[in-house]
Amino acid sequence: MIAEAGQLALTFAFALALLLALVPLYGSFVANQRMLLLAKPLAFGQFIFCLLAMAALIYAFRTNDFTVINVAQNSSSTLPWYYQITASFGSHEGSMLLWVLMLAGWTALVAQYSKALPLLLQGRILGILGIICVGFVAFSLFMSNPFERSLPFFPVEGRDLNPLLQDFGMIMHPPTLYMGYVGFAVAFAFALAALISGRFDSVWARWVRPWALSAWLFLTLGIMLGSWWAYKELGWGGWWFWDPVENASFMPWLAGTALIHSLAVTEKRGTFKSWTVLLALAAFALSLVGAFLVRSGVLVSVHSFATDPGRGMYLLVFLLLVVGGSLLLYGSRMNSVRSQARYQLFSREMMLWGNNVFLLTACLIVFLGTLFPLFHKELGLGSISIGEPFFNQMFYYLTIPFALMLGLGPWVRWKQQQLVPLIKPFGLVLIATLMLALGTLALMQSVQANLALLGLLLGAWVGVSALAEVMLRLKQFGSVTAGVSKLNASHYGMTLAHIGFAVLVIGVAMTKTYTVERDVRMQEGDTVTVSGYDFTLQEVYALNGPNYGGEAAELDVHKNGRFVTHLHAEKRFYRIQSTIMTEAAIHARLSRDLFVSLGEALPGNAWALRIHVKPFVRWIWLGGLLMSLGALVALCDKKYRRKLTGNGEAHA
Amino acid sequence: MRKVLFYAPLAAFLALALFLLSGLFSDPRERASAIVDKPLPEFALADLMQPDKIWTAEALKGETYLLNVWGVWCPTCNAELGYLTELREQGVKIVGLYYELPRDPAFDAPFDLSVLQRDVSEKLTQNGNPYQFNILDLDRSLSLDLGVSGAPETFIIDASGIVRAHHIGDINPQVWRAKLAPLYQQWSQP
Repeated sequence: MIAEAGQLALTFAFALALLLALVPLYGSFVANQRMLLLAKPLAFGQFIFCLLAMAALIYAFRTNDFTVINVAQNSSSTLPWYYQITASFGSHEGSMLLWVLMLAGWTALVAQYSKALPLLLQGRILGILGIICVGFVAFSLFMSNPFERSLPFFPVEGRDLNPLLQDFGMIMHPPTLYMGYVGFAVAFAFALAALISGRFDSVWARWVRPWALSAWLFLTLGIMLGSWWAYKELGWGGWWFWDPVENASFMPWLAGTALIHSLAVTEKRGTFKSWTVLLALAAFALSLVGAFLVRSGVLVSVHSFATDPGRGMYLLVFLLLVVGGSLLLYGSRMNSVRSQARYQLFSREMMLWGNNVFLLTACLIVFLGTLFPLFHKELGLGSISIGEPFFNQMFYYLTIPFALMLGLGPWVRWKQQQLVPLIKPFGLVLIATLMLALGTLALMQSVQANLALLGLLLGAWVGVSALAEVMLRLKQFGSVTAGVSKLNASHYGMTLAHIGFAVLVIGVAMTKTYTVERDVRMQEGDTVTVSGYDFTLQEVYALNGPNYGGEAAELDVHKNGRFVTHLHAEKRFYRIQSTIMTEAAIHARLSRDLFVSLGEALPGNAWALRIHVKPFVRWIWLGGLLMSLGALVALCDKKYRRKLTGNGEAHA
Repeated sequence: MRKVLFYAPLAAFLALALFLLSGLFSDPRERASAIVDKPLPEFALADLMQPDKIWTAEALKGETYLLNVWGVWCPTCNAELGYLTELREQGVKIVGLYYELPRDPAFDAPFDLSVLQRDVSEKLTQNGNPYQFNILDLDRSLSLDLGVSGAPETFIIDASGIVRAHHIGDINPQVWRAKLAPLYQQWSQP
């Protein structure tokens, strides 16, 4: 009954989305104010019905309604209650509903917070979001109905949630990631609305910036959570695999990062317009392409959904209409837009242009690396696979110039920068960088020319120069203390995000260089020394969880005779899915992780254990966290809350 | 020129869509076989029913045929025997490559050719016998050289002893019509 109500709610949402897609847009062309005013209530109504549908699905999961196929295949009565809720978006059908809910949510947010926008533009933006909603609600409703029943025959027990997804990281990862993917739909709608009206100016850019920034915030957080989840749940200590599904989330992130930088130029200087619009279209287009790649089965991936060519066909047609249509509009409208701004070779504009070039090159590399196997095969050249070495090498070469430029960028003025005034501060930054990088390695007693040194140099360069730049700006307000409250939030946000990047680079380089991994055979009482840490296996005993059994190992870790920590690693056997899962024991510190995963039982009362010591691995996620935090701080900037008048001029 | 440039994203996207469309209708897990268009590897293996007869790559040349990897232990292979027999009646030459499972010396009975011959004749009497003869690949050496990953698998080998196709999985009327028959016809033209 409740499941049917959910389906009904989704059907209503579809009807409202259809109205939202048609009425305000039509109204915008015939200048009918009443039609334009309808956009807001329609957006809210659509969101409420999507919310009801999601609630009905969660209800079906919580009440173990195994007559619903989706519940029977992804949940069980022994599953803990919080995983029963997350199981509602663990399958293709459920995650599609979550996607739809997020999209409707963003649409409602735009409806709520766009009072300052001219009514015409409001109607167009919401109408375009309505078109996208129609596509996805229809996909959920007709191609992957989460409420489908299997009556009259239904199982008495469900098949349980995939044990890989039974983890805190997985509770958080999909919603944040989808918030990011779908959030770029707002920037996309803004860009399309601007293309229709033919008006792009700094005011337009200022409207888009907070939306693009918040989508980017969620995407960054989502990717970071996914990486953290993979690290602790897949049991072999990796944190990024260049898997097609990961790449599908990385591409919109790269395009989105380019977009938020390019928007800065468009807002401040009224130039880079065609570039910014293209990036706004691309960020969401890449989200859609990603959704297609993950859900259509054209690529082999460790974590794609069950696939169906019908669904792939639907998404492809949708992709063609939405992306193809918008790019056609782009081609026909954009050639009349001219940018007048002039700037010198050494200027902030050029630095940000460089940023975009590097980010888009990175995006292109990920794109080609992901899709090249498909191109190769469809051209009849046989099967190939592109793996980690390709991506790692490419990103190695890209990161060096990118980071060098990133350190310099914020110092450079708009229009034109003289070289001489920068020489002294950069001399100091360079000295500090060298001292920091070499000092860190000296502390680790390993000063040599390796990837770690390079990473430390680049990271320190970006970090030190970002901090020094803030100090310089603060001093310009008279005194540092007086300047703290005067410098705007977006500047702090930028600095924080850049430091986040520095932290990430250091984390990657140090982990790659200094990780020590040992696969060992241990009996109870045995001690193994890895990187100076003595791991002693105390005991191994049988586990008894709610929906799993298995074994657990207890280890003590000492360093130079002093007790460091106690570790508890599990190897779980999930009964219903009959899957074995490793729950690695991780002792995390800023400077290093101790990582132990329990393997197979070996003859002679012994166990295989995988022991890793990973220096600085936390910095990878800390960097991601700092970047999202930077976006959050930037969002608090007062300028995004300033009232804008109808003709687009900002009050001072 | 400038005008055309703004349509470049659209053109790139349409090209991508075309690839995605064709990708939708092919299986990403399908791998091109490394043995295709290479000669049948050298071997000297005994006939299953007449162990004193030795088959070699050279001896098989002269006619296009299907080399079908199978075993009595493999249910899918037994299921396809019926359809393969129909093909034989239509004039397709089929040679069996008998794939024997590895044995665990601690648990399994030692290999006994007469037991195997009895099992094979039993199966072929029950389900139909599509084979001209069977080659016994006792230590799976030829199967290894051919890149066999399981049973059943079928190779099309032309008159000059070149492997022309490698099919993984069973042969049923649909697979034969859609995939293998055109190749078989192509390579059996003199």
